[in-house]
Amino acid sequence: MANHGVELLDQLASQGVSRRSFLKYCAALASLMALPPAAGRAFAKALVSAPRPSVIWLSFQECTGCTESLTRSHAPTLEGLLFNSISLDYHHTLQAAAGADAESARQEAVQKNWGKFLLVVDGSVPMKDGGVYSTIAGVSNYDLLMETAKGAAAVIAVGTCAAFGGLPGARPNPTGSVSISSLVHDKPVINLSGCPPIPAVMTGVLAQYLAFGTLPELDSLGRPKAFYADTIHDRCYRRPFYDQGKFAKTFDDEGARQGWCLFELGCKGPVTHNACATTKWNDSTSFPIESGHGCLGCSEPGFWDAGSFYRALSQSANPLQHAKGALVAGAVVGGAMAVTNRGFKMMAAHVHAPSNVADLEK
Amino acid sequence: MSASLSRAINVLKKVIDAPIASYLNSCVHCGLCAEACLFYTETHDPKYTPIHKLEPLRRLYRQEYTLIGRLLKAIGLAKPITDAELEEWKELVYNSCTMCGRCSLVCPVGNDIVYMVRRLREGMAIAGHAPQGMITVTKRAIETGSPMGIKLPALKFQLSQIKAETGIEIPLDQEGAEYMLLLSSMEVINFPEFITAVAKIMRQAGKTWTLCSEAFEATNSGIQIGVSEIAEEIVSRIVDGAEKLRVKTVISPECGHAFTALRWEGPNLIGRPYRFKVRHILEVLDEFREQGILKTSGPEDARMTFHDPCQIVRMGGVIEPQRRLMQMVAKDFVEMPDSGKYNWCCGGGGGVSANEDAKELQLIAFQRKKEQLEAVKAERLVTACANCRIVLEEGMERYRMDVPLVGLTELIADHLVEANNVGGTG
Repeated sequence: MANHGVELLDQLASQGVSRRSFLKYCAALASLMALPPAAGRAFAKALVSAPRPSVIWLSFQECTGCTESLTRSHAPTLEGLLFNSISLDYHHTLQAAAGADAESARQEAVQKNWGKFLLVVDGSVPMKDGGVYSTIAGVSNYDLLMETAKGAAAVIAVGTCAAFGGLPGARPNPTGSVSISSLVHDKPVINLSGCPPIPAVMTGVLAQYLAFGTLPELDSLGRPKAFYADTIHDRCYRRPFYDQGKFAKTFDDEGARQGWCLFELGCKGPVTHNACATTKWNDSTSFPIESGHGCLGCSEPGFWDAGSFYRALSQSANPLQHAKGALVAGAVVGGAMAVTNRGFKMMAAHVHAPSNVADLEK
Repeated sequence: MSASLSRAINVLKKVIDAPIASYLNSCVHCGLCAEACLFYTETHDPKYTPIHKLEPLRRLYRQEYTLIGRLLKAIGLAKPITDAELEEWKELVYNSCTMCGRCSLVCPVGNDIVYMVRRLREGMAIAGHAPQGMITVTKRAIETGSPMGIKLPALKFQLSQIKAETGIEIPLDQEGAEYMLLLSSMEVINFPEFITAVAKIMRQAGKTWTLCSEAFEATNSGIQIGVSEIAEEIVSRIVDGAEKLRVKTVISPECGHAFTALRWEGPNLIGRPYRFKVRHILEVLDEFREQGILKTSGPEDARMTFHDPCQIVRMGGVIEPQRRLMQMVAKDFVEMPDSGKYNWCCGGGGGVSANEDAKELQLIAFQRKKEQLEAVKAERLVTACANCRIVLEEGMERYRMDVPLVGLTELIADHLVEANNVGGTG
């Protein structure tokens, strides 16, 4: 798995990626993370020359979607190659070794890189009934995590399951799943939430660590601000329609065809912090809203339990929405009053006997 | 509920129309009508606030014609209208309202308060809560043809007196005459000079005119007391008489409410347009002046002022003619403060002068007119309404004021260039 002897640039060239493309990628990554332009060159230099840090990847209660997203979304990608170029010493899915060999490789990597390796975790950790619901080689996820985390420089929780509990932690949470950050307190934990997270987010964090030896600035939920500071809504290309009050009411109405805001169809963009609207997916092809569906809010805690994906966050402010009904009701009541009043008046006129002077005296 | 009360409530339900509904809904309770009412300004008693005088009508409207009012009535939360209440309101609706219309004029939301008082009187009269004095007058008007009981022989006697004194033959029942003159009983009995004055003016103008033996009475007690059927009957007499004689124009005499009753209410009461015109005597005189057939001489030096009768001026719309006529005969014509359409009532209109119960209040209210008169210090007071004349005289007597009072038509007649050359027929 480790390719220490091969120059990164050569490796890239062998896969059809030119030096120029590589520099462009580094510059793009730097700008994505809102770093100064010079950081792009630093990235490139660091990625080419730095000894590749050891990375140990543990998978717990997860679906492997995160790994798919980060390594195999499409090939060949710079992200994928970058993964290939780090020293990924242990990864259930990707490693060739199995059984006792695999476990001893992990232990060896941990011992060799004590205090320096990055621990990447995807999936949540079941805590109920002694953690019996997910074990690897007879060791519960909890024990494996705590043992490995002791020697790690930092823990990167990839995906919403690792970051916030995710699907296994959704109600009724039968396995008692919890997030990594609720268990690991003595190491920096970086949450890269998303179901799955954006590949560039992963590589951005790795690139920064490689180039500068630092970890990114985090928000209150432990997510890198470079990617999670803005909401999807803030950066959404449909935002102007929201501001104009133009909303698609169904997925096949004229508003939907015109590309109007999906807020009323349950889009969670306004409360979801992620970079989808800027980086997009599939080699910057598109993102869910662009393909006509509202944001599910997958990078936020508890998004599975936040009700229907199709329920609007709030009723749009439309004080006149019942105006027509009120108008009709008012007209009906008013009309009924007018008719009955006219009737009363006519009845009064009908029963009124002409008055004469004799009526004046009581 | 007594039979008369239920009849009254039925009448009120009948008279509440769209204008009244909108008026009652648009009142903003600003109280400006109080300041416009001489019964309030002279007593400062808030019960005389004009809109308050309509309280029974307002309540009935709410209870019968509004959704919430009906619901409240259905669950017994509405205060019903009682005989005792109407009796209590008699003072407000009859004694303290001369239907002068000043409140309607100032109302910022355009509520015609006097129109509503008139409609409330319909119910009050039917329930037997009209003042006795007005009932008597109204009965007399229907039974004898005149509120003061003047029958045709009495008029004929006055006409023969005029002929004996001045040599003028007053035309009676002349078919096809251009003008038909109406009279108020007051003029027949108290101010027959008015008839002579018109005769002289007509002669100078060269116009044909006549009285009608079947319809010489102009006043309309039905309007005052508030019974449409009676008002209609009285108007019909005039309409029948005028159309029988085929006159072009009917002249309303120097009487306020007679003009409003005939000119503005009449066609609505009988339900069709007239086949003749109705003009107030002041309008006729002003027309003659304009045509140059009213020639006067020697304007007087005496300082004169004019009391605008509410029904002719504010309610009737005749505002400028009397001023132009005054200029013809008075060098020193002064306007009272609040003159013209803002003039203050003498205090005896709308049937108040016929209402003995209201006499004291009428004289208290007269202080407003007294103040106005004192402000201009006129040597002579001119007006154009026989009822105003009586009320002004009563008031001036009470407050010991000594200003000679004359009708404008007579004043003009006194200044005709041929005034000294009387005789022959009109």
